[in-house]
Amino acid sequence: MALLNRMDWYDLARSTNWTPSYVSDGELFPAELSGDYGLPQGAWEKYDEPYKQTYPEYVKVQREKDAGAYSVKAALERSRIFENADPGWKSVMKAHYGAIARGEYAAASAEARMMRFSPAPGMRNMATLGCLDEIRHGQMQLYFPHEHVSKDRQMDWAFKAYDTNEWAMIAARHFFDDIMMTRDAISVSIMLTFSFETGFTNMQFLGLAADAAEAGDHTFANLISSIQTDESRHAQIGGPALKILIENGKKEEAQRRVDIAVWGAWKLFSVLTGPIMDYYTPLEHRKQSFKEFMEEWIVAQFERALTDMGLELPWYWEQFLADLGETHHGMHLGSYYWRPTVWWNPAAGVTPQERAWLEEKYPGWNDTWGQCWDVIIDNVVDGNMAKAYPETLPYVCNMCQLPILGTPGKKWNVKDYPLEYKGRLYHFGSEVDRWVFQQEPERYAGHLSIVDRFLAGMIQPMDLSGALQYMNIAPGECGDDAHNYAWAEVYRAMRAQRNAG
Amino acid sequence: MALFPLTSNFEGDFVLQLVPVDTENTMDEVAAAAAVHSVGRRVRARPGCILRVRRQGADDFLPRTMKVVEAGFMPTETVEIIWEAAPH
Ligand SMILES: [Fe+2]
Ligand SMILES: [Fe+2]
Repeated sequence: MALLNRMDWYDLARSTNWTPSYVSDGELFPAELSGDYGLPQGAWEKYDEPYKQTYPEYVKVQREKDAGAYSVKAALERSRIFENADPGWKSVMKAHYGAIARGEYAAASAEARMMRFSPAPGMRNMATLGCLDEIRHGQMQLYFPHEHVSKDRQMDWAFKAYDTNEWAMIAARHFFDDIMMTRDAISVSIMLTFSFETGFTNMQFLGLAADAAEAGDHTFANLISSIQTDESRHAQIGGPALKILIENGKKEEAQRRVDIAVWGAWKLFSVLTGPIMDYYTPLEHRKQSFKEFMEEWIVAQFERALTDMGLELPWYWEQFLADLGETHHGMHLGSYYWRPTVWWNPAAGVTPQERAWLEEKYPGWNDTWGQCWDVIIDNVVDGNMAKAYPETLPYVCNMCQLPILGTPGKKWNVKDYPLEYKGRLYHFGSEVDRWVFQQEPERYAGHLSIVDRFLAGMIQPMDLSGALQYMNIAPGECGDDAHNYAWAEVYRAMRAQRNAG
Repeated sequence: MALFPLTSNFEGDFVLQLVPVDTENTMDEVAAAAAVHSVGRRVRARPGCILRVRRQGADDFLPRTMKVVEAGFMPTETVEIIWEAAPH
């Protein structure tokens, strides 16, 4: 029997919709799960995805993708790339797998919500494939690191991270819970696929793949580029939904969801992707600075995606552009200084050559973050290690759950953005984080940040050992300097020379 | 006498930090408690300077001998710790 051509049946199959008779429409598509935008069903039936793929086509293509990525891994398994990799590169992999792998699996459940509850039949079809994509991403990014678990306990965090109260994981969960686990299907399509995936996963997966290829880690480079080919397809789920909302007078609701999700994604990337691109990746393997990647992927491309859609740039865009050159330097300094509380070993990334690179990419770096690093370097050179570790908690934001920070040194601009709500004092890291809270205070008000938990006595004993226990960081897992401070030798030599001269 | 949490925004440092003080502490003692977590860690000491405390956004420092209990802070309120040339 001859098969029909895809386009002879695709439209009909896609728009085939249920006409419920035993239950009401409201029972079939409850507002909490399907969205409550007051649009007639006919409006959603106009949903037209730009990327059309049938299930048989999907299976064929995915099989080839899997075969490609798995065969590269198998071929390189004995190459000892991991054993011989720079410790900074190992930290890139550990941070990536921990923060991403199980989040992918959670994303499968968000895709499943669109697959079942979206009022748009076309979206249900695309999300079916998207759900399978995310299961694949979860599985691969657990399977690939698994070969390293026996060599390095921190690699176990690829699986373990999401089950812990480690501070960066509280931040990641808070964000993903907000944009994909607790929103209706239409909001998920806007916040997860359009805002987060179109803009930001591109950046993590393509930017990092470029650095991985430079570093000679072809297994990792292939893995994450293979994943990105799925992302760039299912990231297109949100666009047609936005179009329908805008055409039906719901631009304001759509815009607000974009603005909330883009900001949260930015904060998460500033702590995850910023440090690994500008500090952990060995200098000779850096393709572009984090800011350059962001400007290419987010500013140039995502800006166009927004305006093509008929949306405005988020109201905070000027602030965002300014922060591109600042926030992640603080996130790096923070995760380095509080390094016992992360599951990877941060690379300091501040040798004289690296500082010259930072100064070139971020003029003024030496007069700002460099001033803080000068003190840290002195302590390391002097062997004054007690002062090179923290003795209290950084104050974290009640929205992004990340340290509240700014530019230090000669351009000191650190500021708290407080808000009193129902008798409780909340702290935010920016005007935007506070604005997100104010959009729907009851949604966020009950959450306790790690500092709130500490003050509530939930972390015992109230010291580093208690904190590590609370964060599930076992002995042998807590972070320390990636290179065991070998980078400080050059400063020791410089000082000896100065003293001799 | 009671433990009281404040948030320190220390001039020249990059991050806000939790600083537990006592309600009976003076502003000079609050500044000293905050300095423990910034000076010599990420901020250089400034010889010839003392540290003053002010509310975020305020122009005036709180009196050096004022006690925490008298300042009327909310728990975890952010205070700025600012370098000032030492009086002669
Ligand atoms: Fe994914
Ligand atoms: Fe995805």
